[in-house]
Amino acid sequence: MALVAGAIYAACAPPVRGAYADSIMAAASLGIPIWGITSVILLPLLSGNQMAWDAVGMQGHFAPLVGWILFGALLGGILQIASEIAEIRFGPETAPVLSLSVNLPRVVILGGGFGGMKAAEYLEEQLGGSVSISLVSDTNALLFTPMLAEVAGSSLEPSHISVPLRSSLRRTRFVRGRVTGVDFERRVVVLDEAGTESRELGYDHVIFALGAVSNYLGLKNVEKLAFDFKTLLDAIRIRNHVIEMFEKADRETDPEVRRQLLTFVIAGGGFAGVELAGALNDFAHGIFPDYRNLSIDELCVTLVHSRDRILPELSETLAAYALETMKQRGVTFRLGARLVDAEPGLVTLSDGQIAAESLVWTAGTAPNPVIRTLDLPTNARGAITVDSTLAVPEHPAVWALGDCAVVIDSETKKPCPPTAQFALREAATIARNIGAALKGEPASDFHFKSLGALCVIGHQTACAELTVPFASTRSLRFSGLLAWFLWRGIYVSKLPGPERKIRVLMAWTLELFFPRDIIQTIELGGKESHAGSHNAQ
Amino acid sequence: MPVVTTLSEADAPTPLRMWYDRWIGILVGTAGGLLQGMMLHSSLLRTALLGAAFGLVFGLVFSKRASSAGAGLIWGLGSALLFWFLILAASMLRLGTHDSNVMLEDARGRFSALAAYLVCFGAPVGVVLGIRGGILPDRSRPPFNRSRAIVAGGLAGVVSGLIFGHWMWQGAFFPLIAGLGDIQSQAAKVLLQFCVAFTIGATFGLLFQRDVRGYGSCMGWGLGYTVFWWFAGPLTLFPFSQRRPLNWSMDAASQLFGALVGYILYGLILGVVYATFDRAWVRLFIESDPLNREAEGPGFRLFRSLQWGALAGLAGGLVSSPFMFAAHVLSSVAGVSTQLSTLSGLLVHLLVSTFIGMSYGVLFRDEASNLAMAGAWGWVFGLIWWYVGPLTLLPLLLTGEIDWRISAASALLPSLLGHLIYGACTASLFYVLEQAYTNKHRLDPRMTARELRRLRPVGTPAPALWFFAMGMGVVIPLLLA
Repeated sequence: MALVAGAIYAACAPPVRGAYADSIMAAASLGIPIWGITSVILLPLLSGNQMAWDAVGMQGHFAPLVGWILFGALLGGILQIASEIAEIRFGPETAPVLSLSVNLPRVVILGGGFGGMKAAEYLEEQLGGSVSISLVSDTNALLFTPMLAEVAGSSLEPSHISVPLRSSLRRTRFVRGRVTGVDFERRVVVLDEAGTESRELGYDHVIFALGAVSNYLGLKNVEKLAFDFKTLLDAIRIRNHVIEMFEKADRETDPEVRRQLLTFVIAGGGFAGVELAGALNDFAHGIFPDYRNLSIDELCVTLVHSRDRILPELSETLAAYALETMKQRGVTFRLGARLVDAEPGLVTLSDGQIAAESLVWTAGTAPNPVIRTLDLPTNARGAITVDSTLAVPEHPAVWALGDCAVVIDSETKKPCPPTAQFALREAATIARNIGAALKGEPASDFHFKSLGALCVIGHQTACAELTVPFASTRSLRFSGLLAWFLWRGIYVSKLPGPERKIRVLMAWTLELFFPRDIIQTIELGGKESHAGSHNAQ
Repeated sequence: MPVVTTLSEADAPTPLRMWYDRWIGILVGTAGGLLQGMMLHSSLLRTALLGAAFGLVFGLVFSKRASSAGAGLIWGLGSALLFWFLILAASMLRLGTHDSNVMLEDARGRFSALAAYLVCFGAPVGVVLGIRGGILPDRSRPPFNRSRAIVAGGLAGVVSGLIFGHWMWQGAFFPLIAGLGDIQSQAAKVLLQFCVAFTIGATFGLLFQRDVRGYGSCMGWGLGYTVFWWFAGPLTLFPFSQRRPLNWSMDAASQLFGALVGYILYGLILGVVYATFDRAWVRLFIESDPLNREAEGPGFRLFRSLQWGALAGLAGGLVSSPFMFAAHVLSSVAGVSTQLSTLSGLLVHLLVSTFIGMSYGVLFRDEASNLAMAGAWGWVFGLIWWYVGPLTLLPLLLTGEIDWRISAASALLPSLLGHLIYGACTASLFYVLEQAYTNKHRLDPRMTARELRRLRPVGTPAPALWFFAMGMGVVIPLLLA
């Protein structure tokens, strides 16, 4: 028993040279718990005696208590002496030096979205210090896109939904820059770092997680005039533009021009478009009392969608509920109509025109255009084709995931939707497979079944369609306040780090008591001022 | 991978200093021995020799650790307690028996010697050598701010003294001045109570400002320091100030057991309040300065500590539940008949364990730098919760009354082991989780630098404190029961 106690103590508290007093006293103090565990508990149990833990029973173990305390003190002293003798005989113990070695396998992740950041996190967890990880992104923060509409709607501050990549990734080297090319022969990524000359970054494994950009389907005028809704800057621009339109309308005397200024058109009836329409509708109504010269009848938020129902990702009943609810809240819909052209003050649809100064495009996306410039297998949309392990065929050590890849589920053989929940799981698979590749083990196939979908359609109202566990064909559908609570609960829990969670929760709480502010944080000289944003992808 | 800590320059004393330390130890020990002999009316030669022996050993082994009066005091108290155990064991060897009951009776008979060793040997030898160590130059010593120590300590002492306000105003209970005899005036009692509280608080700041690091260590030091005050105040100084004969017997100590619990609770709260006052300035005006920013802000660490603490507390609760069950604690929370079924009792136990684990995470997160240290702090934490939980807080919440008599403590003694095991498991798992996180991020040089700053360097009185706090916390209830 004493031998075991001594060995455990020596392992848990390695002696430090010259610390006799510390060692004696620390070990003596540990004699008390050893007494409790051995003399009071273990020995009576092992000897088959009934344990006596009352005061009298414990007093019966007083002699062992003194014994264990003195044993501890002696152990501490002897251990210290033995350690010093060993040090003289064998030399001092050297602590292993940790350093970033240049000889480690290099994994380079291109893209700092959900997929890229998660891939870095999984690689950090699974491969530890055995690989050198670099993440290249043209922004230094991960954007939490599910809450982007709340920024456009002035419900959340922009910094609340972005997480700095440098702070979040502890073992990953972050490189701010834009990918301009990849030399697969030499295994180097060519980067155009902001404001500097091009540089190259070598890799042993490269992960493409470059995401997607808006696809205007060849509508040049729309591309020139419409707002994108992909980045944090897009959301800030939209919010400021809405306020700018209210400011202009407030001093405008012509009712037709006022109506034109206060009409906001959102193209696209998917999640992004519907959530943005709901958020802008709430925002516009919320700031209306501050503009005393305006009439509520002049305000119009219109959603244009080419199909006959919105939210194709959800079931028909939920889509109908969303449509009705949003209509009741003041959103107008132009279903079955395509956006065909736009000019200043006028949006042209396939079945008519809308006089509007504001147009937001959410109707289509395409993989990052840089992919088309690389020698990679792609589909018609320009997305990288990958095999079931997410490796790019005939390109060793090249992997792809997320919106920029065509990922086919290994079990269902169906393409995976380009959503964050799939990108996260794809990142895990790639990290695992890179680990396997480094160890010479077989790679695993990707398979993931969607957990469901949630969509906020307005103030305290949402739609939820959740997959029922172990019943792949069934889903749980509900809407209203409960779905809204679920949306907020799930997404706030998914926000990386406690700081963002607290900020968002505080902002949501404050929103219950105070109106949304109408301070313009950037100056808008005109719609042209945002046109450059399309090229910033 | 253990982080290698290095010794400070004070750990390499010159031969001349060591020679002086031995003689100072012998002189002060001899003086303490003579004082003991006079107070206990025993052989002056014998007690002086005993004191000289203690002083010599302390000067040889522990003096280089006495780098300040506070550090010297704690090392002195720890070594005095160890000395008492040695004398006890030697006595048993001389009697040729290892029977627990005989030893217990002998220990009870030597309770006055324990008090004498602490008050006449450990405290003076440690403090004198500590003052000497404090005068010597040492560049590695952290800075000391006297005003901050007195203000923060004094305020903490007075604020902590308010915990007894309810009983004080009723005129029923003045634990800090127990043993002072009959004082008729209510106002005088209150004033004296606060004077003692202020004195303990201010001296706490002066003595331990350099040694305490956070809430956990402040609580530990508060516990140890107020246990010493129980010996020095109600058992020694108060009777002495009224020219009454000293009585360090078991019976006198038993009568003052309630005051001991009061002192311990006061010490714990003093530690928390002192840490709050002391750290508030650091948190608000120093750590929040962007120039001093660390890789992670205090908020991140707090949240993680709460998470790990909850997990570790739940695990600690699970591990300790069989012991709690065997001690019949689960069905009667804190000894109060709550009519809980075993399952309900277990659920309540696990729930409470989780919350207490979170408190461990917040209070003790920066204390342990290896598994043994974590275990030691865990035992201290478990001991603290035995005094705070079943002995005080739970009866107060469930019945509105507390019973600090030795008979009540004896009835709750079986749950002490469960609490100690809970504390050790919680602290160990918390350390494992903390280390896993730290190791994961060790390649980040900012995290490595923070880890090195966080580590308690070798040479602080923490080991002596563990021994003194745990030894007294466990031995006194056993002896007095």
